[in-house]
Amino acid sequence: MESNKRLEILQSYIRKLPSFPVTVNKVMEICYDANTSPADLSKVISLDPVLSGKVLQLVNSAYFGFAHEIVSPVRAIIMLGMNTVKNLALGLAVMSTLGNRKNFQALEMDGFWKHSLGVGVVSKLIAKKRNVDPKKLEGYFIAGLLHDIGKIPLNGRFSDEYRLAMEISDRDHQPLSISERQILGIDHTLAGSLIAKNWKLGTEIIDTIAFHHSPETYDGEQKDILFTIILANHFAKRSGIGFSGNPSMEKIGPQVFQHFSGGQETTFDFLHDLSDEVAQEIEKAQIFLKVAQ
Amino acid sequence: MKVRFWGVRGSIAVPGRDTVEFGGNTSCLELRFGGKNRLIIIDAGTGIRPLGDHLVQNDLPKGPIKTEIFITHTHWDHIIGFPFFQPIYIKSTKLKVYGPITFEEDTIENIMGDLLRYRYFPVLHGELTAGIDYFQLGECEMDLGDGINLKTKYLNHPLLCLGYRFEFKGKVLCTAFDTEPFRNVFSTDPNAPDYDPVASEKGEEAVREENQKLLDFFHGADILIHDCQYTQKEYFASKIGWGHSYFEHAINSALEAGVKKIVLFHHDPPRTDQELFALEKRYHECMANQSALEIVVAREGMEILL
Repeated sequence: MESNKRLEILQSYIRKLPSFPVTVNKVMEICYDANTSPADLSKVISLDPVLSGKVLQLVNSAYFGFAHEIVSPVRAIIMLGMNTVKNLALGLAVMSTLGNRKNFQALEMDGFWKHSLGVGVVSKLIAKKRNVDPKKLEGYFIAGLLHDIGKIPLNGRFSDEYRLAMEISDRDHQPLSISERQILGIDHTLAGSLIAKNWKLGTEIIDTIAFHHSPETYDGEQKDILFTIILANHFAKRSGIGFSGNPSMEKIGPQVFQHFSGGQETTFDFLHDLSDEVAQEIEKAQIFLKVAQ
Repeated sequence: MKVRFWGVRGSIAVPGRDTVEFGGNTSCLELRFGGKNRLIIIDAGTGIRPLGDHLVQNDLPKGPIKTEIFITHTHWDHIIGFPFFQPIYIKSTKLKVYGPITFEEDTIENIMGDLLRYRYFPVLHGELTAGIDYFQLGECEMDLGDGINLKTKYLNHPLLCLGYRFEFKGKVLCTAFDTEPFRNVFSTDPNAPDYDPVASEKGEEAVREENQKLLDFFHGADILIHDCQYTQKEYFASKIGWGHSYFEHAINSALEAGVKKIVLFHHDPPRTDQELFALEKRYHECMANQSALEIVVAREGMEILL
């Protein structure tokens, strides 16, 4: 199949994707604000009947084993606490939009989400340690969470080719984005940026998705978030947090280290010091994966 | 039914001269039922170590140790003694461990098993010779055989935590640790910026109903062993949301639920013997001639016959 034809299929697929719901943005916004009040959380959940239905379904599932049915988000918050309900809502909101198990043909879904989550968590931690404006921290998390989103339609629509691309990467120790271009003529940075544009996610996320494997060609405004995600991606891969189909450890370009005004060694030391916190955050966020089952 | 207290402290073990009277070991109860002397253990805090030694000395000579441990929740003070429970190293031991799930995906087996890893302990869980089976619990009712009936109920703690209600030959023993009163986390002040009248009202209703469900769970118990980590003053000063109760709340709950005897349990680690004596005296005096409720402050080694 010609790569033009594939691009057409991909574009039609993306056009048919459900829009990135306002609720997801809102849930993310309130979940990553430590000052969110219980009323804010309950309001956002209650306003979306599908989401509140799913949250209550999960709260009432055999997993928790409550003897009495919990019938409102208000009660769920009082009984399970803000943090648990936040995690449930966020996990459900993201998962319901960004693909379920049937979209994962070549890629392994749990590994993919764990990697995405890991990059989101690490990006946000790096930004926090660097005293980035607290209002922007959530953007770092979302950009990290979504950086590989283009892999979902590629492996969902062209699963045989995608499997081959993954095999080539593994065999030749070649970055997956290169194998994707060789086999499909399209890579996940292009596919992902098309989705992000379709969802009107804003330049910081679109640029991060588009350039996270080619930062040397980037001269836009979003260097800080882009370079942070590149570092976080490297760290997540090196620490074995999930797996999103790309076994090759790509070198980080000098422009990234320069941006963080440190050499390679100091930057890696800095990352190493985050390990415990990252592990903790990921453990807390594991409920995402539970929700996706 | 008989209950013996092997650990009554909360949070962390506190050995030392200030805790000689009430004891420094963390949560562990030994329950004995009927003529068969059936053994059921609640929690595996540091108190389970001397209990294990006691069982090896007194029970093992009569035959293999066969018991069930009901874990209230998996915070350290309720499980940390498990690797030091001697019977798990004895091949003839048959052990069933019950406990709630955590909010993460871990099963009770994984969490208990994780205590026995080389990074923490020189013996691996897989190397234990005893026969151990693990069971997840939610809110349920179980017939444990020998006429023992068990009901479980989630309490209010930052981690899923179960209260246990054992019923045997018309006697009832109920546990409520670790827990604090459900409270409305939704603002009830119309002038507060996040005030939402619907959420506020629903929150009030939920709190009322959930607290009532706890009272129903305790209803008519001969003994209620209740969390009392804090005093009312300490609780309202800085401990709201920490998942623990205060003396006054525990006593009031017992009164409202028609409990006969309340055993105040899960003492705050810095609480000295002197302070506990003083608190015990204060509540005895407060409640003297007020009701038939008997108030006992839990002591390590204490035995109560029902």
